[in-house]
Amino acid sequence: MKTKALKKTIYYIVVALIVVVFIYPFWWMVTNSLNSINEIFDKPSLLPKSWMWKNYIEIFLVQPFARHYLNTILVALLGTAGNVLISALSGYAFARLRFPGRSALFILLLTALMMPIEVTIVPMYFMMNKIGANDSLVPLILIPIFCSQGAFSAFMLRQHFITVPKELEEAARLDGLKPAGIFFRIMLPISVPVLSSAAILAFLSVWNMYLEPLVFVSSLDKFTLPLSLSNFNDTYGLPQWNLQLAATTLSVIPVMIFYLIFQNKISDAMVSSGMK
Amino acid sequence: MATRHSKLARGEALTGYLFIVPQMLGFIILVLVPLVMVFIYSFESRNLLFGNMGFTGLDNYKTLVEDDLFFLTLKNTIIFSLGVVPLNLVLSLALALYLGAASAGTKVVRSVIFLPVITSGVAWAIVFKYLFQGGDAGPINYILSFIGIEGPNWLHEKGWAMVAVVISRVLKNLGMNVLIFMGAVMNLPQDVLEAGRIDGATKPVLFWKIKLPLLMPSILMVMIVTVIGSMRVFDTIKLMTDGGPEGSTMVLVYYIYHQAFKTFNIGYASAVAVVLFLIVLLLTVIQWSLRRRASFYED
Amino acid sequence: MRFFRKVTCALLLMALIAVPVMAQGSQESGGASTGPVEIKIATWTSNPDQIALLNSFVDEFAAKEGIEINAEFESIEFGEYNTKLSLELQGSEAPDVFWVLETSAPAFIQSGLLAPLDAELAEYNPEDFSAKAMELWQSNGVTYAVPFSTSPFFILYNADLFAAAGIPTPEELVAEGNWNWDTFRQSSKAIKDATGVWGYQTVDGGGYDVRILHNLCPIIRSYGGDAWTSDGQILINTPESAAAVQLFHDMVFVDGSVVPPGDQSNFFAGVAAMTAAQVSRVSNLADADFAWGVAPMPAGPMGDVPIIGQAGIGAFSKSDNVEIAKKLVAYMTNESCVARMAGIWPPARKTVLESEDFLTSQPLLTADQMSVAVASSIETGRVLPSHVMYPQIEVESRIIWDRLWTPDADVQAVLDAVAECYAKYIK
Repeated sequence: MKTKALKKTIYYIVVALIVVVFIYPFWWMVTNSLNSINEIFDKPSLLPKSWMWKNYIEIFLVQPFARHYLNTILVALLGTAGNVLISALSGYAFARLRFPGRSALFILLLTALMMPIEVTIVPMYFMMNKIGANDSLVPLILIPIFCSQGAFSAFMLRQHFITVPKELEEAARLDGLKPAGIFFRIMLPISVPVLSSAAILAFLSVWNMYLEPLVFVSSLDKFTLPLSLSNFNDTYGLPQWNLQLAATTLSVIPVMIFYLIFQNKISDAMVSSGMK
Repeated sequence: MATRHSKLARGEALTGYLFIVPQMLGFIILVLVPLVMVFIYSFESRNLLFGNMGFTGLDNYKTLVEDDLFFLTLKNTIIFSLGVVPLNLVLSLALALYLGAASAGTKVVRSVIFLPVITSGVAWAIVFKYLFQGGDAGPINYILSFIGIEGPNWLHEKGWAMVAVVISRVLKNLGMNVLIFMGAVMNLPQDVLEAGRIDGATKPVLFWKIKLPLLMPSILMVMIVTVIGSMRVFDTIKLMTDGGPEGSTMVLVYYIYHQAFKTFNIGYASAVAVVLFLIVLLLTVIQWSLRRRASFYED
Repeated sequence: MRFFRKVTCALLLMALIAVPVMAQGSQESGGASTGPVEIKIATWTSNPDQIALLNSFVDEFAAKEGIEINAEFESIEFGEYNTKLSLELQGSEAPDVFWVLETSAPAFIQSGLLAPLDAELAEYNPEDFSAKAMELWQSNGVTYAVPFSTSPFFILYNADLFAAAGIPTPEELVAEGNWNWDTFRQSSKAIKDATGVWGYQTVDGGGYDVRILHNLCPIIRSYGGDAWTSDGQILINTPESAAAVQLFHDMVFVDGSVVPPGDQSNFFAGVAAMTAAQVSRVSNLADADFAWGVAPMPAGPMGDVPIIGQAGIGAFSKSDNVEIAKKLVAYMTNESCVARMAGIWPPARKTVLESEDFLTSQPLLTADQMSVAVASSIETGRVLPSHVMYPQIEVESRIIWDRLWTPDADVQAVLDAVAECYAKYIK
């Protein structure tokens, strides 16, 4: 009985510790986004010292922050949608449709899976230059669709489609459905959990992109959030710390709210689809 | 019947090709072609400002072999990975096993631990740059001062800077792995575990002999992703330490960026990129062969 | 089957068409021969007043030439300036006119990215520019960019903090003839000891890394040393240089009076008593809630050796509108424009420097301050050393310089290692 109580106490201490460690950075960020520059570098406190709400107005005046936000959402939506759609098609084909060269092509595709964009970013820069796609959002949309994240989704979805019972397809085939029909009418609907975990992972990879926009985008009005956040500097490149923190907070909070609302679905999707 | 069958097969094959065309086309244009190009560039004297100054054979590789800075970045990349990967794997697996059952506390942990994952790497690095401030003003040092420890000037002292970037990186990605492991733990075949218990297996035996082998495929998968993720670290380094101090956090990817876009040596940067490619390839091959051995349900 | 074929075809088309179409969208802004000329100008300032001033020059130029110009100003963060600019110059969105950092001048000139400007500058009075000011921007007698800013470094100080510490201000020390690196060091320490506020912040807080030479060279040169010379001598590890660097090192690690590496305390926010700065930074003090003043850089054993930071403006040689761009560069650096920029970016033109107006061109500085801290230094000041391989030198030496920033660093040994690194490139 005693050990059980002890175990329970330890359990709650561990939980509390984790909560503190993971919440504190965000707490600190929000608190200091409402401070003046000097207050940020004063002794840390748990609450804002001067409640400078004007930091949140100024971030929109210093640079087109709203535009950066929209750019990021656009890239994230198109990148994620393209990624899932195209990899669902190929994942299904590699899992279930028989065609000559299937395994060879799949293995070829897998080379992309582990290939960091950092390896090819230099020639890709010159390539994008040649087709005039530099300094636009195009490379930022294409990369998550076709580079390693694309291959990753294709791989993940193939693994999923393999596990779908063959009987399902047989029955559909007897009902006169063609492979495409089977895919769209049966396979896709039953794969929503896996598709959504692929989508979440793709979204996160787009959301995290930093090197890519750094290289491919130069005009201020095409910046994405990560670039924007690291660009809060005064005229001579001195960081405007409080504005940077306010902008960072604004970039973090909506996704966080979205996650907290749908967290059960998101966690379940991640857990159940199990990246095996 | 045979013709009908082959017609069906032909239809299926055609559908198959059509299904993979978008992916493969993008793959060829955006992965394969640049990969070939990076090899070609690595044999050229190419400069961002001065353009292509022609084929120079193995010159870039000769420079590379004599470049102390390159070996320093290689070493740093390995140190960084050796810091991140075991820490991340052990912590996330331990947490997943410890928290196992779905109690209220576990749910809370599952929520908060995932928050850094959905935060962009840049935002996370920005916040941690502040948290690791030196002096008393740095929040982490401030907290340490309560337990009587005078914290270092984290990001500006050799050694500590690497510790700081490793910590921030592990905390950033831990949540994803915890979640994956939680899924894997939940999917463990209960009957096997039960049988083990009935046979009188002690907890350590249960863990080492039954759970761990069953979890191996997941562990390897997570390991691949984490290792390659740690080879690719860029935002954390650029924003927190800029590769310093004394180049002690300059990693391969950042070195490629520096060579290509700060000092404009496109050719040389490509040679370094080729090395990165070979390293990742090697790691992948090793891990896939391990995975094949450990995996139960792969076709 | 038909349905799915449509879908696949649509997807394929999307993938194939999206790239060129969207790319075209971004190309449309390229210079057309009819209608207004699009001119893109890259700078590292994002100050709206400064951009407005530059834009007014473009408008005047357009009116004078009788053409219509749509000027687009692009502000690139200082730390990323060379990277972004170099990337843009490769692509379709390249600026037609751009600022050039002094340290990258040789590389940009030799790479042929800057258009020669001699024809456009022909109407200038060559006597108006000192040869010294133009040296960096010319190669084999051809001028590739014009320095629009020749701005000496000086000391800004927080008079309230000096009063609180009860010590004479730098300006008072100058008047006494007693303003040198030793009194500078004593003042810095006295303030830290008396008030607890940092005595000195390095230039833009970057003195330990991105601005290390801007930080150390003023001390080094007034001690009789240098980083390297234009004829290829490396002087960074001479006893003179070492003594100078030792002084700064002691200020940081013995006195503890300088804002240390990684600490963000900022002079302009009132939490450091002195900093090194240029005229362009003075506008940051418009809303300062403390009394402040300016003094020249302290003198060393070799006297007062001011350092000048230059910035040039040039035209992109491969621009579609290169002819207009070249003329625009010439226009923006003519006597009238230069005079109006003088309060932000002190010019290299003698006529402007010698005019009465120059001394009152920065509203926040008195004529006296302008004369003592700025005008006199422009005449005697020297720019930082430069080199065509500067980017490499900077990246590689930075890693060695870092060794200096520990309390027990062996200054001479570090400087020897820096010299060794320099020697790889400077011959």
